[in-house]
Amino acid sequence: MVCRRYTNKAAEPWPENATLYQPLKEDQILLSDCASSLAVQAYLRMCGLPVQVFCRANAEYMSPSGKIPFIHVGNQVVSELGPIVQFTKAKGHSLSDGLDDVQRAEMKAYMELVNNMLLTAELYIQWCDDSTATEISRPRYSSPYSWPLNKILAYQKQWEVRRKMNAIGWGGKTLEQVYEDVSQCCQALSQRLGTQSYFFNKQPTELDALVFGHLFTILTTRLTSTELAERVKSYSNLLSFCRRIEQTYFEDKSS
Amino acid sequence: LYLSSVQSLDPLPMHGRDLDVHPEDFMETPDQGQDSKQEILENKDVVVQHVNIQGLGRTKEDLLGYEISDVFHAKNLIDVMKRAHVARQRLLRLGIFKDVEVLIDTSEGTDALPNGLDVTFEVTEVKRLTGSYNTMVGNNEGSMVLGLKLPNMLGRAEKLTFQFSYGTKETSYGLSFFKPQPGHFELSMETECQSNICVSLQFPLGVTNHTLKWEGVWRELGCLARSASFAVREESGHSLKSALSHTVSVDSRNSAIFPSRGALLRINQELAGYTGGDASFLKEDFELQLNRRLFWDSVLSASLWGGMLYPIGGQASCIADRFYLGGPTSVRGFGMYSIGPQSEGDYLGGEAYWAGGLHLYTPLPFRPGKGGFGDLFRTHFFLNAGNLCNLSYGDGPRAHLQKLAECIRWSYGAGIVLRLGNIARLELNYCVPMGVQSGDRICDGVQFGAGIRFL
Repeated sequence: MVCRRYTNKAAEPWPENATLYQPLKEDQILLSDCASSLAVQAYLRMCGLPVQVFCRANAEYMSPSGKIPFIHVGNQVVSELGPIVQFTKAKGHSLSDGLDDVQRAEMKAYMELVNNMLLTAELYIQWCDDSTATEISRPRYSSPYSWPLNKILAYQKQWEVRRKMNAIGWGGKTLEQVYEDVSQCCQALSQRLGTQSYFFNKQPTELDALVFGHLFTILTTRLTSTELAERVKSYSNLLSFCRRIEQTYFEDKSS
Repeated sequence: LYLSSVQSLDPLPMHGRDLDVHPEDFMETPDQGQDSKQEILENKDVVVQHVNIQGLGRTKEDLLGYEISDVFHAKNLIDVMKRAHVARQRLLRLGIFKDVEVLIDTSEGTDALPNGLDVTFEVTEVKRLTGSYNTMVGNNEGSMVLGLKLPNMLGRAEKLTFQFSYGTKETSYGLSFFKPQPGHFELSMETECQSNICVSLQFPLGVTNHTLKWEGVWRELGCLARSASFAVREESGHSLKSALSHTVSVDSRNSAIFPSRGALLRINQELAGYTGGDASFLKEDFELQLNRRLFWDSVLSASLWGGMLYPIGGQASCIADRFYLGGPTSVRGFGMYSIGPQSEGDYLGGEAYWAGGLHLYTPLPFRPGKGGFGDLFRTHFFLNAGNLCNLSYGDGPRAHLQKLAECIRWSYGAGIVLRLGNIARLELNYCVPMGVQSGDRICDGVQFGAGIRFL
């Protein structure tokens, strides 16, 4: 008789050699991807899970869903913040265990707000605004490739994002309207945060990681105009929130 | 990931770089009987005064002058017949005539000599636009090909072809342009699926045939399964290969599929990266085949393949450029491309390889269908061996050779081979793989293979 043992891979402990992949930091990565990657890194640091960041030119194509960042843990590859939160929960690490059902629903709603407003605004500004697309997005996106592949890939990506913007109804918006949407989103977040340290109680949750990822990246990324950063800066409690998280979770190691 | 290249089948019998066909295959052996009559004909001195080509429509005359020029050098009647026959083959080989008939007559007219001859070629040009439907066999894949061809487009045997191919492994379409140059040069340009462009020049030099080619390929690699190993996942993405290559081949075999004598030597070099693109490497590979007839119509055939890939500029080699080994068309008894470095069941290929085979081909036992269908089959006994590995270049050439000599995979067996046209063959073999290393996937027992190029 033979005894076969099956291991529950999801329940294995977090290994030391977990890695996170994103595009090249200096020359390639764009605002939206940088924000998403920073959100995941912040979340993992908040959970106390060590992860090493690797930069690869083909990170977007390596990812199983086509979106970055993705993490390689043991034998498994998981991409985007939502699935990564589920993945860590299965391993017994969670930041939102202390929340009751009402708070959890509220947290999900605010995360949806950030994804639908902030992330979409970032994509719009990157790819639908002609000056940003020409001066920043297309050159950076295509920097690892040689001619004529760089031109083809950059225009292909731009066309794809513009098509998606049209599909969700953002195609007709002007840049001013997009900045207004960003302001409204920041106002909602600022009101919810109030004078607290984090959005819920005294402990950070995945919502804090997500908001930090986006706001910090907007504040520290140079675009063709400073309008976007200015809109965020007008909410002082959001500024101090970002500074606090940076000091608590990122300053002891180089980020 | 797919990694095989598919050759094209042309409905007209043609000597082309893809087909490994020799014009001698189409020559009928001259009549051997009646020596006395032959002597009389040979002794009579003749001069070919005129060569006429009748039936030309859009074909330009200067194109044909080279092909028929040899006929003027004939000294006697038998010689005229032989040279006219060769000229006819060359005219047919251009692919612009449906039919060529030869007429040899005494010269007439005011300047006719008493021993003067006129040779007339009556040709029928092909239509301006032809369609074709073929089935194609590549290495373990098959496809249907629909083609649209404009032969002799501008009058100088230029050929423009559009092909659409629907196959077991991939669907593709392509456009190709082909132009023979005077003096046996051939220039061709091909594009495929908006991702592949190739321009090549082919010419003979003495007994060798050379091909110079520039190729631009846009490669997109992706994982087909979620469970693909991380080593394969790391290779995903786009890359551009712009490569110059040179191939020299010497082929003295009497047939491409079941040669009974002769040898083939083909050496290929490819340099990528110096004409643009992301991929940067130097790749060398060679193919050698020797054939010898033994007792009782059996043929002993020995073949040797090898290759090496040197990445240039410090970057690692790409999975799409490496060599793969194993399968019914290379080392039999092993799964397709299933020898060598692998990660979690996915084979990554190697930067150096060698493979050798020793075969004994005999006609089918008791020779059923002799002279007809039975001649398409052979029984075959084989011994195959090979090795594939990566190289760490700091170690020097001796370490590389040593690595290739360790852990050799080999196999032996027997089976039946069927010839398809003059291009491809099918094999059904019983294989016994040996020297299997951990990680290799074997196919012991019955293995079926279809393809063009077999070890």
